[in-house]
Amino acid sequence: MAHWFHRNPLKATAPVSFNYYGVAGSPAANKICNDLRTNRARLLEMFTDVTCNPEMMKNATDAYFSLLQGFISSLDGTTQENKMRFIQNFKWTDTLQGNTPSAQQDAVFELVSMAFNVALWYTKFASRLAGKENVTEAEAKEVHRSLKSAAGIFKTLKEVHIPRLITPAEKGRDLEPRAMDAYIIQCQAEAQEVTIARAIELKHNATIIAALAFETANFYQKADHTLNTLEPECSGKWRKYFQLKQHFYMAYAYCYHGQTLLAGDKCGEAIRSLQEAEKCYSHAEALCKEYRQTKGPGTTAKPSEQLFFLKLGGLIKNTLEKCQRENGFIYFHKVPAEAPQLELKASYGLAEPIPFELPPLSEQCSSEVYATFDLTKGAKNDKAKPKEEEVKPVKEPDLKPQKDTGCVLS
Amino acid sequence: PSIPEGIPSDSKTNKDGVLVDEFGLPQIPAS
Repeated sequence: MAHWFHRNPLKATAPVSFNYYGVAGSPAANKICNDLRTNRARLLEMFTDVTCNPEMMKNATDAYFSLLQGFISSLDGTTQENKMRFIQNFKWTDTLQGNTPSAQQDAVFELVSMAFNVALWYTKFASRLAGKENVTEAEAKEVHRSLKSAAGIFKTLKEVHIPRLITPAEKGRDLEPRAMDAYIIQCQAEAQEVTIARAIELKHNATIIAALAFETANFYQKADHTLNTLEPECSGKWRKYFQLKQHFYMAYAYCYHGQTLLAGDKCGEAIRSLQEAEKCYSHAEALCKEYRQTKGPGTTAKPSEQLFFLKLGGLIKNTLEKCQRENGFIYFHKVPAEAPQLELKASYGLAEPIPFELPPLSEQCSSEVYATFDLTKGAKNDKAKPKEEEVKPVKEPDLKPQKDTGCVLS
Repeated sequence: PSIPEGIPSDSKTNKDGVLVDEFGLPQIPAS
């Protein structure tokens, strides 16, 4: 399969001690704070652990979020805000803004920022797995599922949790609607890429492949347009990725649409479709170069030199030659000046986000224990003033795809 | 709830009632 996906860096965060001195007024309350600290640290370690799999990630996420909800949900039977929600300041960097963190004294901000990173991890896990040579069917399913899970997390955060923040996200930050939409669409489009590869491998009908490629190209175009009002310094490289993928999948759509036309004895139109595929492919190739030359957050790669890219070039060339041969021998059709209109609606293979659900509240967070947190005690204590913690950038494992030679040993 | 029949699998039907795999592709390749 050897797919290639652009990835923005993980969000970085300052350590949080959850030390509230006098506030946690019982051993059970203290235990919640200690467990929050250790579960948070463990989850952060998971993000850069190359041996981590989705099951481990889910367990670590559930462990932290089941406790963190004790600072968010109403635990005293009233409709009032949880008294612990605003006790702690959380700092997080944004994927497109380098090392300048955003900070909010709000447990909901922590929940959405951490869940955002979990979604990013799923996309990186998928990227690592899909970039391998000889991806098995089980692995392809895992890649597909991980991307749909990531899309589901981003979507739920955007629709349910981010609207609960008191301070809305500033322009260009991760939690603003444009960035969120771009991430959701990117995950869906990439999941569909996996489906297109499978459809080709299983020799599905060319109509199915063309329609799905066309929809996927449209997804990438939509993601690109979503970001067009952001500063080019932070979103330029990401947008180049969307643009190159858009043209690449338009080339796929015209290539497979050409095959359908040829099968329907419309050889002249098939040739024109294949010529259009060549045009889109050349455009994608030029955008690959621009992507490499564009500075900005994200991975460095030479997409046009990778097998996934080169393979399509060969397919377009061979299909066009076949059409031209058949036209010269059998059909003698005139090649139209206008490219065929692609009005393809995919009935198969569209990727829907998997809904994201928070784990149930930890049993540790009972209303009795909640009652033993006393905010008035902490305010009198000078030690309770939050210490300014530094945000260190995340050292991520290398995500470069493996070299795929395309050779098959038999 | 009623007792499920058969064993769980990756197959399900899409909105048109066609049997599809985990990727949403038709179960039996069309060509």
